[in-house]
Amino acid sequence: MDRSQPRELRARLLRRRMSRRTILAGGGALAAGGAATAAASLYAFPDASGGADDGAGSPAANRAPEEPLDGVAWAGHLLRRAGFGGSRAELERFARLPKEEAVEELLAIERVNVRPLEERLAAMGFSLEPGSDGIVRDMQGWWLSRMALTPRPLEERVTYFWHGLLTTQVSVLGPDRAHWCLWQNELYRSKGLGRFDELIHATAKDPAMMVYLDTVESTKEHPNENFARELLELFTMGEGNYTEEDVREAARAFTGWRLTRPRVQFDPDLSEEERRERFREALRQHRPEWFLAARQHDFGEKTFLGRTGPWGGEEIIDIVLEQPATARYISRRLFRFFVHDEPTDEELEPLVAAWNESGHEIRSLVRTILLSPSFGSFRAYRALVRSPVEFVVGMLRGLELDPAELFRAERRREGAALVRAYIAMDQLLFNPPNVAGWPGGPAWLSSSTFFARLNFLDAALFPGGRPRELPLLAGLSDPDELLEVLSYVFLDGELRDSARTVMRAHLQEVSDAHERRATAAYLVLASPEYQLI
Amino acid sequence: MLSRRDFVKGGVALVTIGTTAQSLLKGAVAFAAQHPEAVAATRPKTLILVQLAGGNDGLRTLIPYEDGNYFDARPTLAIDPEEVLPLEDGLGLHPNLRGLHELWSEGTLAVVQGVGYPNQNYSHFKSMAIWQAGDPELSFDNGWLGRTLEAMESEIHDPLAGFNIGTSTPPELRNATVPITSVQDPEQFGIRVRGRPAEPSEPRTAALLKLYEEYPANSPFGVLLETTADTAVSTSQQLQAAAALYEPAVDYPQTAFAAGLSVLAQAIVADLGVRVGHISLGGFDTHTNEAAAHDALMATLDEGLSAFYRDLEAHGRADDVIVATWSEFARRVRENANGGTDHGAANCLFVVGRSVRRGLYGDPVSLTDLIDGGNLRHTVDFRSVYATLIERWFGVPHDELLGGRWPMVDFLPSV
Repeated sequence: MDRSQPRELRARLLRRRMSRRTILAGGGALAAGGAATAAASLYAFPDASGGADDGAGSPAANRAPEEPLDGVAWAGHLLRRAGFGGSRAELERFARLPKEEAVEELLAIERVNVRPLEERLAAMGFSLEPGSDGIVRDMQGWWLSRMALTPRPLEERVTYFWHGLLTTQVSVLGPDRAHWCLWQNELYRSKGLGRFDELIHATAKDPAMMVYLDTVESTKEHPNENFARELLELFTMGEGNYTEEDVREAARAFTGWRLTRPRVQFDPDLSEEERRERFREALRQHRPEWFLAARQHDFGEKTFLGRTGPWGGEEIIDIVLEQPATARYISRRLFRFFVHDEPTDEELEPLVAAWNESGHEIRSLVRTILLSPSFGSFRAYRALVRSPVEFVVGMLRGLELDPAELFRAERRREGAALVRAYIAMDQLLFNPPNVAGWPGGPAWLSSSTFFARLNFLDAALFPGGRPRELPLLAGLSDPDELLEVLSYVFLDGELRDSARTVMRAHLQEVSDAHERRATAAYLVLASPEYQLI
Repeated sequence: MLSRRDFVKGGVALVTIGTTAQSLLKGAVAFAAQHPEAVAATRPKTLILVQLAGGNDGLRTLIPYEDGNYFDARPTLAIDPEEVLPLEDGLGLHPNLRGLHELWSEGTLAVVQGVGYPNQNYSHFKSMAIWQAGDPELSFDNGWLGRTLEAMESEIHDPLAGFNIGTSTPPELRNATVPITSVQDPEQFGIRVRGRPAEPSEPRTAALLKLYEEYPANSPFGVLLETTADTAVSTSQQLQAAAALYEPAVDYPQTAFAAGLSVLAQAIVADLGVRVGHISLGGFDTHTNEAAAHDALMATLDEGLSAFYRDLEAHGRADDVIVATWSEFARRVRENANGGTDHGAANCLFVVGRSVRRGLYGDPVSLTDLIDGGNLRHTVDFRSVYATLIERWFGVPHDELLGGRWPMVDFLPSV
């Protein structure tokens, strides 16, 4: 089921916008409201015909959707979508590379050594030990840091994609099993660009997933349909391509899938309480593995998607992988993640072809997407709402801030505001709201999350009320110079004239140079344009 | 007759982000002072939903104090019959529910017993999801109250129509078209400059808001971005203005729960258009040493709800608001070896308000005819409770919202 429903929200927002405009126009007269004269395209992407508002100097307004992106707009777009945004040096370099070369460089992750990254992350001292206090909090900091520091941005981007599609909520697993989500994360990182077949087979046997979707509870007497249903509905085929009977039959095939448990020997003198504690400890240290509990497994014949046989879970997944619906569904999900929200059949066709030709290799699909005219045109430019994670990591990368500095501050008192605002932005990694993942898009922006974004910036750029020193802006003090650097790094050098005027006017009023630098960063990162990618 | 929205709009001269709300509110307040009867006639009905998270022990909330089986099953956790606050039919309230008992005497408390659903799920997460979706099959991808708000959408424009006390939209309010405002702490619900709350006129904030105001509507997400900034600032201004206008008529207890309720009361009293309010009280998962913890929770619940009701009553709003409680499940009938209780099934819930018909609803639950190894069998489907709230309180047909027709429970009069 497609759980994001932007169309109605869009219509509603248009109506609201209309009524506000009507009030403005009417100068206090009662708004009659409702007469919808606005074009629906006002909402999502530039409409060449709609010129009522001033779009002067705005790169994304007044451009034909099919017009190709080039220069730093292309480089910024690519680094935001295939990573989490670029630094100034990366932008400069990518803007000069031929497009194909730029894409190939991002795709060739194996050529990049991540040892130094691993060492740096380890040195940051996050508590990720099983059962440790604060593990769930530190998992946030650890992954955000990794996203910010990685020399393989596309690898991290794809891991983030699978995390949002093949979801697991750490809150359902509980603190003793929180680290299982890190194993799942590593699975998505190591297999995320390879053949989808390997990824989905491994995901079905991933301990976090098996607990999250109740596979471990499923017996032949009482098959639990949870995993089978989500496998078909959310992970591979999409709703409408199978029947309820298919779900029931698939569920039978996954019965008896179990995880090994730790062996614990108890001293007979131990109390009930001590035994329980001993077992919990053993559970924390144990790395469970999948096995088939024959007594709980239904070995009988199943008819699934028209094919009859004594299928086990692996065969069910193999049948799913052959379905054209799976090719379309994964293509569509990838397209919506990388390009824009409403792909046409023509836009998806090359992806389905790449799926078939490559033997379901995700890297081929991603390459096809990044080199497609749809991706490289104004139709896709700033066509997605920036998620909180992209908001934070984009800031870190662009300002060249050391995440360790930010997350160390988090533990001091002045960091409380930062943490509060981060939580209020409403995207905790490893903890999407439900099995469908984050709805994303316009849902990222509500009154409270809007304030949270602004207040996160205030806390990050003015810790304890004082301006932070920003490496990117060291030595600069002229408002125009500051805005030039910041708009280059965060807005591809394209700042609307009217926005530049507003920002400059304010910066000229700020006399202290430290204060002015942090304020300039605040205004650019809080701007409407930065809320999009 | 003028609608409430019409006169809210009446006071507007010049609108920019940040100045909207205060002028709107001032206009509305002036209008209300001149035309109290018109305001009363167009007031929306409000439902406040109180979640008791973790699985409230129904048998320490509504106590079958004349049933010997109760005392057998609860050797350490049973409430002394002498202390029970009696209702009727051999049932009474936990001794700390004094305020609710007073409401019972005044005729403004309804208790529904035996509420649950078929094939009880014993996972907190799953059972909560079921209650929140309003569907044991979990086939909806939004919440029952979200759907209800959507069904009323043609008449709802207020950003606080769905008002949650908390950090993010609770699943029961989730929907595709009506934005839900979540406020954990009103102090945080606004723009801060160098860590301190700032007015929209503060220079950096004014510059920032101008960027949103001037962001061209034909740019990507032009409408969304401008509307978000506008709604956020005006909602925050509304809440601030409401706080300035509102004088609580009672002393709220010093608990986070009561503080949240007072924020809801403030929005209701200031006529900010709240249709559905939502607040949670956690800590009910009492597997060990339940007695002290549960006694304290009962007091927190009772003192908070009583203060809220008395406050609304003093402001003349007790007719427009009802409060309903729920919990994902009750607890096992028999207490465990650790002085606590494990996850259970059917539960009781409260509905409070002057429009409520006092009484005990639902067939009594049996303490001997149990399901799933020792849990109460439900006698009222939770969707009947929802259907009654949707249909008799909001006047909206419930069939589509709850995937079928459910019998009414008579705690509200038929319309």
